[in-house]
Amino acid sequence: MSYYKFEEDDIFVNTIEAYPEYRIYIHSGTVWLDDVPNMSGVNTTNILNVPNGHVSLYEYNIDRTGKFIYPFLIKDGPRDSFKRTRKLTYDTKHNYEGSVVTSSYMMSASISRDYFSTTSRVRMGALKNTLNYYTHRSQHYQYSSSHGNKATQNINLISIPSIMYGSSIREGSVSLKYYITGTLMGELSDHRMNGELVQVGPVGSTGSGSVAGVVLYNEGFVVLTGSWSLNPDSILYETSGPSTWLTYGYGVKDSNGSVPTIGPGITTTPSASFLMEYSGTTHIQTLTMLAHAKYGELNHSNNPTYTTSSYTVIPHYSGTHKYVEQPRYFTNVVHSKFNDKKPEFKKVVYISKIGLYDEDKNLIGIAKVATPVRKTDDHSYTFKLKLDI
Amino acid sequence: MADFYKSLDNSRDVVNTRTLLHEAIPLTGSIVSGTYVVHSTNTAENIKNYSHGMFTSIYDYPYLSSSANHIFDITVGVSPQSGIYSSVTTQQSKKKNIYNQMAQVLMGYDHTGSILQFDEDGNVLAGGNKIKECFFLNFSRLLVKDEIKKGSFELELGTVPVHTLEGNQTFGTRIKITDYSGSDGYFVNSPVGEYGVLYATGSEGKNGLKANQYFACGLLFYQAGIAVLSGSVFNDENLGGILSGSEAITPSHTGLNAMSMSADDNSVNDNFTAILTGSEVSGAASNILNRIYNIQFNNTVELNSTIYYCRANHNEFNYSTNPTYLSGSKIRVKTTSTDTPVSYITTVGLYNDNNELMGVGKLSEPLKKTPDTEFTIRARLDY
Repeated sequence: MSYYKFEEDDIFVNTIEAYPEYRIYIHSGTVWLDDVPNMSGVNTTNILNVPNGHVSLYEYNIDRTGKFIYPFLIKDGPRDSFKRTRKLTYDTKHNYEGSVVTSSYMMSASISRDYFSTTSRVRMGALKNTLNYYTHRSQHYQYSSSHGNKATQNINLISIPSIMYGSSIREGSVSLKYYITGTLMGELSDHRMNGELVQVGPVGSTGSGSVAGVVLYNEGFVVLTGSWSLNPDSILYETSGPSTWLTYGYGVKDSNGSVPTIGPGITTTPSASFLMEYSGTTHIQTLTMLAHAKYGELNHSNNPTYTTSSYTVIPHYSGTHKYVEQPRYFTNVVHSKFNDKKPEFKKVVYISKIGLYDEDKNLIGIAKVATPVRKTDDHSYTFKLKLDI
Repeated sequence: MADFYKSLDNSRDVVNTRTLLHEAIPLTGSIVSGTYVVHSTNTAENIKNYSHGMFTSIYDYPYLSSSANHIFDITVGVSPQSGIYSSVTTQQSKKKNIYNQMAQVLMGYDHTGSILQFDEDGNVLAGGNKIKECFFLNFSRLLVKDEIKKGSFELELGTVPVHTLEGNQTFGTRIKITDYSGSDGYFVNSPVGEYGVLYATGSEGKNGLKANQYFACGLLFYQAGIAVLSGSVFNDENLGGILSGSEAITPSHTGLNAMSMSADDNSVNDNFTAILTGSEVSGAASNILNRIYNIQFNNTVELNSTIYYCRANHNEFNYSTNPTYLSGSKIRVKTTSTDTPVSYITTVGLYNDNNELMGVGKLSEPLKKTPDTEFTIRARLDY
């Protein structure tokens, strides 16, 4: 076995930009992520132990009740704690050194929807600077403009946690569909790729071609302001009335975790359903290494089975003034079509693994090939090794 | 942005710390067996057997689901030096190979190059009893993380002879196996790190042990996350075990012991030695799984951090170079010479020796900085 050093042109660090697709369907207060059903288990109504329609951050306590896996640490001098433990709690409840500070693994994330019809809108106000920052993309971002004043107009704000899109939402990938009893009433798309959500369907529908809101791609928000009627039938959302983009997503929890009322006997509410599709953007750094097996190299193995067992010679002998190692014979694995004639010996090895070593020759990784690669003096190979970092 | 870079004093402003983060890992018997039984096939959906037959994998949910987490593997090994080795009629070579494989990895070799056997009390040099027939519980790295926290391991086994696949009829009498001396009595002579001795004691119901004391019954390798359980915990004292036959719930099984076993279909009662010699590894593993009342331990993750104490003295960082700090070419907050300068600190930048920005720490809310105030901002970097 030989050591080879990677040259400058043998190592590359690349970033793979991927666009995972997300699909969120909302109907009658229930959220489905990527068309995955909310699975009930033997012990729980959702095996992930998080609310339906939520992404489990850890997926540790599968179908468990009672005894859960949870993290803890001992309160100590460095004052380490968990992010969800408030400072006041840490200082007062865990007031002695040596106390155990616990947290939970049943944490989750999902979309939320806030409807603002009054001027009390702290969450909207917090986005004022951000919205104004993107005004260069479209005037519809402007917090207050001829297109409306986001401090006073009715707004439907949909918040998407970053675990559901990665670095940013991909421009041009957002599609919002509004269904009433299964019929498409309106579709928004950001096909202009400038953040504007334009109604693109159905063809000839009311408001078609109008801008119904904007998307904050990097921050994960959809701000809907379109108030034209998509369907005149009165449905009980926050209040009874026609379906508009302001009622899109009704049934999703708000940012405080409150669930809107989907009352019994209100037969029309379940008939509204909503589909939101978009692609996220993720960046994965990868290390690519090219390992070369050149002509005339790596044609010998130190494996014990590389020498033939047919010769039972004493491996070495020694005398008063000598130490002699006996020759060993390699196994001839060269193929021959004839049974009565031995083919001419050629050195052949089968490469099955490539070891990666650090500068101190510590083995830090092993790459295996699917099937051993036959290597002779006449062959030259380059193995491409890829590692996500 | 501030108008100058302030150097950190490595002797007092930079501190390296190590935090030990733990997780409590409870694995009740119902998670291990009983919950996901398919009665028609007499199998469990969360227990995976392989065609090679060398170990059994346990999941916390039916393993065909992507939500399932692998929690541990269980297998059995018999040393070729064991008195029962020649009697092993099923998978003899596999049981030997498993023992040797585990022993050479976990215990290493002696000066002659021979594989060291598992030592009952961990004192290899002093000789003493060796563990020659054992079960191995290889816990998943997902649960063990860096290591099992010493002194936290508990395993409770039911000792009633009759058992079912549901595992719910066997827990009236139990023994508890712990590494109670692990926090200060561990050994360091293993190639894979530290290990402690597992001790058995009575738990609930009748005390099935032959004496009221702690019996050494296995080894627990903390960093490797492997428990080696001696066959003695399953055998009567007459057969070299630590259990008392007089405590057997079904004394009609003459010659058997409190931990005698039966096949999955509950048709044949047998003792541990017979299980070891006559059953396949998967069958022996199944017998143990159905006995598990509870497994719990805590794990440890070591988090290394560097804390940078960024000090803003009274006469520093009171001005900003941000464009918005100016209004009409004058400092916005200082329109006359007697005004006190004010700035709001929102971000701390960490730079390298070449003044290249390496990291940014953001405050949850801006800090008002005037010549009357001084701050020490603690920036912590975990890695």
